[in-house]
Amino acid sequence: MLRLKMLRLKMPQLKMLRLGITACAVGALALAEGFTFTIGNPVASQEFQMKTAAFVFRTNGCAEPAASQISATAEGLVKGARQSVVLKVKAAAKPGVYAVFQSWPAEGDWVVSLRGVCASESAGAIVPIGPKGFIRESAKFFPRPATSAEIEASLKALAQSGNKGENK
Amino acid sequence: MFTRHVSRQLAAHIDGELAQPRARQVELHAAQCAQCRAEREQVRFGMEILDRLPPVEAPDAIWVSIEAALREQRSRKTFETWAVRRWRWAFAATAVCVLLGAAHWSVAHRSATRWDVVRIDGSPTVIRAGKWIETDSASSATVKIGNIGSVEVAPNTRLRVVTARPGEHRLALARGEIRAKISAPPRLFFVETVSGTAVDLGCEYTLNTDEAGFGLLQVTRGWVSFQWQGIESLVPAGASCRIRPNVGPGIPYFDDASENMKQALENFGSEKAGDVALNVILAEARVRDTLTLWHLLSRVEAEDRARVYDRIASLTPVPAGVSRREALKLDAETLRRLKEELAWTW
Repeated sequence: MLRLKMLRLKMPQLKMLRLGITACAVGALALAEGFTFTIGNPVASQEFQMKTAAFVFRTNGCAEPAASQISATAEGLVKGARQSVVLKVKAAAKPGVYAVFQSWPAEGDWVVSLRGVCASESAGAIVPIGPKGFIRESAKFFPRPATSAEIEASLKALAQSGNKGENK
Repeated sequence: MFTRHVSRQLAAHIDGELAQPRARQVELHAAQCAQCRAEREQVRFGMEILDRLPPVEAPDAIWVSIEAALREQRSRKTFETWAVRRWRWAFAATAVCVLLGAAHWSVAHRSATRWDVVRIDGSPTVIRAGKWIETDSASSATVKIGNIGSVEVAPNTRLRVVTARPGEHRLALARGEIRAKISAPPRLFFVETVSGTAVDLGCEYTLNTDEAGFGLLQVTRGWVSFQWQGIESLVPAGASCRIRPNVGPGIPYFDDASENMKQALENFGSEKAGDVALNVILAEARVRDTLTLWHLLSRVEAEDRARVYDRIASLTPVPAGVSRREALKLDAETLRRLKEELAWTW
């Protein structure tokens, strides 16, 4: 009887404990997803300064997004010649959200290679660029930086598709 | 706070001038410090405004007075003490700064509020006193809006300047079509129509309407909010929204949505076709059409709301922290979080 009374008295604490365990489980599940990128239209950043970006992206599964290292290059094929342009990635006010602005030539076929490091994890992505913007459905995501061969393959596929894609 | 504030590094950080380790320290600190995040936004905003200010030359009179002061100083050099010279220089520099600042403010303030018709094709009627701009079938015009953007006025358009001040630029579109390109922070540029008001959230868009208020809003960059009596449609780049008198803005849809869906949206709201239209919209929706479905949540009757929510959840994962029950109750914070997550698919 006494034990039952004590249990009743501790019900709020038990609820808190249950909530804490649930939160930990959800957090662990989120971390278990691994470090990846999500790409989106500039409107996804919710910042008007980003509206002229080619696209925006965010990091997922990174416990400390502000501490992650992010870089990007534009890889292009212009009149049969390979070109590479180091891009300046602009961080949004919301941690873990970034914008890529077009600073590569309009001519030729281009993909953007994203690379990120968060603690001990890495992530990479290849985002093809079409005449009407980034091509979401052809983007590729990796649990590591994309290899040169993967970038070349994406460029080749983009050139063969006639570069007619658009953001969908 | 666990580390020192980073106010002094914010401008250099925004300009990308900080070395990588220092830049990371600033980002880390800002991520944890609301005060520095707020300051960073203020500095970013201020720098963008500064970028737009036109350069102003100092008036000739300033240079004449400086030269005269220098000549005078040279002739009296032997009699002046170091302290007197220093004060004279400080005074001259202050005077120059004040004059330059005043000139700069004057030009910037004037250009921030001025409306100029900068290009005219054909012979539109521009009545400055009444602030009306009217084009016929063979004329068009481009209007510069202060220093925040421009509006192209298509043929057969009647447009009025309602307000022109730095914090608010407001037009009234009586009929016809305009194309606005705005590069200013959100909620500085408004276009009123018979059917409601287009509120710029940092965007480029085309808006047309007839005199009765029937028309279309098409957004090419950023966001536009179309509002009427508490009903709001948020239209992102690549999407459109019908505008109609007395019923508020239509449901936004992406321009590449299926024709069936567009037709169903036209019919949605009419008593005869309402249920059928909703079935078509739910069946035709793709992942990015969650834009349309998100708006439908607050426009359908309560008994249909669960169907709309469940369709969204079947198309894309609902973010953690968004509860179905709260969404169905149209909890504002829940809907905002849901929209911000769905926007990554738009």
